[in-house]
Amino acid sequence: MGLLSIYFKPNFLGLLKCLNKLNWFIVFFSLINLSVCIYEDQIGKFDWRQTYVGRIKFSQFDTVSTAKKIIVATEENVLAALNLKTGQVVWRHVFESASTGNIQLLQITEKVVTVSGSNPYLVRGWNSATGVLQFEWSLTLQNDEQADFSEWWVQNDMLVHMLPVFGSHIEVTMYNLATGQNKGSTTKLPAVWSNDGCIVTAPYYTCIHGPMGNQQLFSLDVTSNTMHLISQPLSEYVTLSSYDGNLRPLDGNGILPAFTIDDKKIIMIKNSQFEMLKTDVVDPSASVAIVDVANGPAVLQTWIDDTQGFSMRANSVSTGAEVAELRTSDRELRLPDPEVSSAVCTKSAREQLVCRVLLTGGDDSVHLMQQGGRILWSREEALANVVAAEFVELPVSDLDAAIESEFDQKEAAKMYSSIWAAFSRRLQTQFQQLQTLVHSIQSGEVLEDDPPSALVRDYFGLHKIIVLVTDVGKIFGMDNLSGSILWQYYESSLDTENVLVYTRRTARHPPHDAYLTVVGKHEETGNGLIISLNPITGSLIGERVLQLDVQLLQVAVLHKADNEKLHALILLDKDENVQILPQSAAPLVENMFMYVAERNTARVQGYAIIYNGQTVEALRTWLVQLGGSAEAGHRIVAAAGKPGGERVHSPGRVLADRSVLYKYVNPNLVLFVTEGPDPLHKDVVVATCVDAASGAIIAAQAHRRARALPYVVHTEHYLAYLYYNDKHRRTEIATVELYEGKQRWSGAGAAFTSLWAERAAAVERLAYILPAAPAAAAVTHTERSLTDKHVLLALTSGAIVEVPWAYLEGRRGGGEEGAMLPAPAPEIMLAPEARLNYNRTLARPRQLYTAPAGLESTSLVLATGLDLFYTRVAPSKTFDLLKDDFDYYLITIVLAALIVATYSTKYFASRKMLKLAWK
Amino acid sequence: MKQILSILFAVCTFSEVLSAVNLQEEEVGNGRYSIEGKVFPPEEQDLLPWQVDTRVHVNGGEYIGFVRDDGTFVIHNVPSGSYVVEILHPDYMYEPVRVEINSKGKFRARKVNYIQTSQVIQVPYPLRLKALTKYRYFQVREQWRLTDFLFNPMVIMMVLPLLFIMILPKMMNDPETKEDLKQISNLAKMSDMPEMSEMFTSLFSGGATAKASAAKAKQVKKRQ
Repeated sequence: MGLLSIYFKPNFLGLLKCLNKLNWFIVFFSLINLSVCIYEDQIGKFDWRQTYVGRIKFSQFDTVSTAKKIIVATEENVLAALNLKTGQVVWRHVFESASTGNIQLLQITEKVVTVSGSNPYLVRGWNSATGVLQFEWSLTLQNDEQADFSEWWVQNDMLVHMLPVFGSHIEVTMYNLATGQNKGSTTKLPAVWSNDGCIVTAPYYTCIHGPMGNQQLFSLDVTSNTMHLISQPLSEYVTLSSYDGNLRPLDGNGILPAFTIDDKKIIMIKNSQFEMLKTDVVDPSASVAIVDVANGPAVLQTWIDDTQGFSMRANSVSTGAEVAELRTSDRELRLPDPEVSSAVCTKSAREQLVCRVLLTGGDDSVHLMQQGGRILWSREEALANVVAAEFVELPVSDLDAAIESEFDQKEAAKMYSSIWAAFSRRLQTQFQQLQTLVHSIQSGEVLEDDPPSALVRDYFGLHKIIVLVTDVGKIFGMDNLSGSILWQYYESSLDTENVLVYTRRTARHPPHDAYLTVVGKHEETGNGLIISLNPITGSLIGERVLQLDVQLLQVAVLHKADNEKLHALILLDKDENVQILPQSAAPLVENMFMYVAERNTARVQGYAIIYNGQTVEALRTWLVQLGGSAEAGHRIVAAAGKPGGERVHSPGRVLADRSVLYKYVNPNLVLFVTEGPDPLHKDVVVATCVDAASGAIIAAQAHRRARALPYVVHTEHYLAYLYYNDKHRRTEIATVELYEGKQRWSGAGAAFTSLWAERAAAVERLAYILPAAPAAAAVTHTERSLTDKHVLLALTSGAIVEVPWAYLEGRRGGGEEGAMLPAPAPEIMLAPEARLNYNRTLARPRQLYTAPAGLESTSLVLATGLDLFYTRVAPSKTFDLLKDDFDYYLITIVLAALIVATYSTKYFASRKMLKLAWK
Repeated sequence: MKQILSILFAVCTFSEVLSAVNLQEEEVGNGRYSIEGKVFPPEEQDLLPWQVDTRVHVNGGEYIGFVRDDGTFVIHNVPSGSYVVEILHPDYMYEPVRVEINSKGKFRARKVNYIQTSQVIQVPYPLRLKALTKYRYFQVREQWRLTDFLFNPMVIMMVLPLLFIMILPKMMNDPETKEDLKQISNLAKMSDMPEMSEMFTSLFSGGATAKASAAKAKQVKKRQ
């Protein structure tokens, strides 16, 4: 010990210094700890995933295997097995999203057989229990133009391919199902009566042919060896005068070859004869299917009755008698255009009919109904195709609102002029608070398991409502914490291409409700269609559903709110007229600009929106032809402005030498990424930063031999966009940072003006290699932008990766801040720890949405695509929140021990003093 | 004309020969090829069928393949070009492979290198893909350990000065350590001994030398 002390004594100061340094290093490293990931016990704590399959195209009950399932094939090119009892996905295979993945046939024999693609076709067989691929073979048709009219079905373990050549003949080829053998042996059946209105009801091919007024109904069994053509005059079934030529196969998986004529009569082919059923089609829109019920097959029909709502009924095929068990009418069930996808009926042990009917609606929803009309489960498959999403704040509870209004200065001045009124009010609210506290304590234990029924803002602002607009025109309100659907609204006439969603009034302004507007197009006319809802309840408010009589060019929200705290909507229509919703907000229009970018010509037109005393009008101010001249043939792949209401916390960044580099923060900046052909370099990608108020080009850069990808990130002074480098065959991410320089252009706090263009922003740029295929990009947003920004990338592999901006910085010159940053690398590391969705792989991610939470450290993330995934990220760790593994017990024990120690030492000290005094 | 015909004929025969050579590559026609390979499951695989969770993505999902019971997969109808084949499994990592099919239908598989794109490290084709590791998605929860606590720099910072402040003065008071210290100082004196003896010898040997030695000493000092 002595030796040690001697050794250390002269160096004691040095040691202290050393320790101090070490300590700084540790503090420092913990600050720039860039790894962001969760603990294993946090799985599902902050996130959820919902898996969808898409609108159902084909479905069939798999009653063979022990675990009962429904096998479905969907418009989204997905093959999946759904649990019959719960409706959950048992297994799922996602095919290519392009036409190569289109599923043409789903048939269940002892295996699940699919035909997918569009010349070449792929025939695959799957194990229905496990979903593992059993066999697979490819088939290329020589006749490529006609291939789209191909029909497929499986018959006696043979795959039948039928290719009609209209007006001439039918080619029928049979293949061995498992191996694809017997290629080439095609039988050609003459069929001059075939046309494009023909239908297949396996194995029959049925057409209506003949001169007007004398049409004949033809039908041919294409698989039989002897060609036997059935033909009957059409007038036997329908009156030809009212006939409009509508031949429709039955829905579901027909167990009998049957079809409907003119949506009125049902005709079955039996013993090579047409046979008209005794049951007629109830309603022209009804979905008709044939189901095998206990005593012979029955015709099952569903439709929406004007008075009765959803209706279903079944009639026996042979007798026409109604099957009582299947009669249903339900006014509550909201199921537009119901369609029987498949149905199965069995007899239970007690001779009761047990039926399962899978219904799909025009809103892409799927319901499994049992006899008697009870819905066993429902799936909202519209959510597989989300086109827009918006996070909406919840209102504060009534009590909080009362307190807030008390402290609202204007209100207080109005209402509580006397001090006594204010005092009594204070007492009142405190009494209310006490009451709710007592109430919560009393009922706290009981209600613990129940979900929070009241939709009120929580303390940290983490609880929000996600409004999702889906492709089919259904709008959902979803609880972000649980992922449960709170409300839904279906507007069948809404075309959601380029749909825009605006929160025009948040829930912060009681007594006014929150106000959300969806701006889309009308499905038929293409005119503007505006839907205004209360995002908390889903009820229509304000303008409700407004159909404009013009097509819209551009929409914006006025930055100033009117008396009712509502932000007006500015609509620029095709004739460059401006409409304001509501009209009364017109005088508020001031300093507004808009731009309209034409996607295919890369022409960007700027407008100034001006109020001239009576009306609001749009003036053309600037015009930019991106990518050079119009002949250059560029097209806009992506355009990204700054998110509305974005805050920038610090106007500059501090460099290693303690000088400040000021950011160029232009709120009007828009990044356009265009792509066009180039005589020398094949394709070029040009990124242009345009000031949307003045039309000035702030920065531009080109990438040769590259293809643009529509993934752009734009926030503060950062820009990033992705492109595919054809030369090196890799995806690259180009990052741009704009700086004013070491001196500020305008004074602190002065508003930015686009019109002052004497100085150009300094552009710092770099490109990095992304070793994966991207599917979407976004950046985190926090309440006050104090926190770091992280870029979120969704990859086609199904991962969402969080990349800190430090890895992507466009400013990497000089070694002066080298110590602060991770080692520069040309390739971005995509570590598994940075995967937000860990092993919950997302199928076909399409878009990422981020929103700030009430907590500064936290940003909410929603990934859409075939699956929905929600989580929250803390780019700089949750510095404003205790860790969730914080040991409350330990700190309580330590505190208690300290208090005890203090008092005991006090006691002992006094004893000692006493003893000393006695001495 | 004849010449042209003959050239055409030659070209035709040549292409026929080529197609004959490429028969083993399973050409589908129209310049469509099939990428084949086998996926080896992770060794500590679970009971559930891993084949369902494993997907084969070519160029980020442009073509998708599915794995059969025995781990083999085929991606049909791929035109000639360069493709990145990825095996995707939620829990296990596989290395992607670049497969190049030239216009004659020749296959070459190599390691994906996005930085040095011209570097070729060939891998065998048909592909044989093995799971590298299990993905580590999660942080390991820190457990409270005494050593961690003690070697925490903050604690060391607090405790060491405390040691120096509280224990060293006490050690000074301790008689044993005092003796220790004395011994040490004696030792230090001992180390001085030879120098002293030198001094004595120089003293006895005479003034002149002493002066010289003194000068030497001075020199030494200067050097120091």
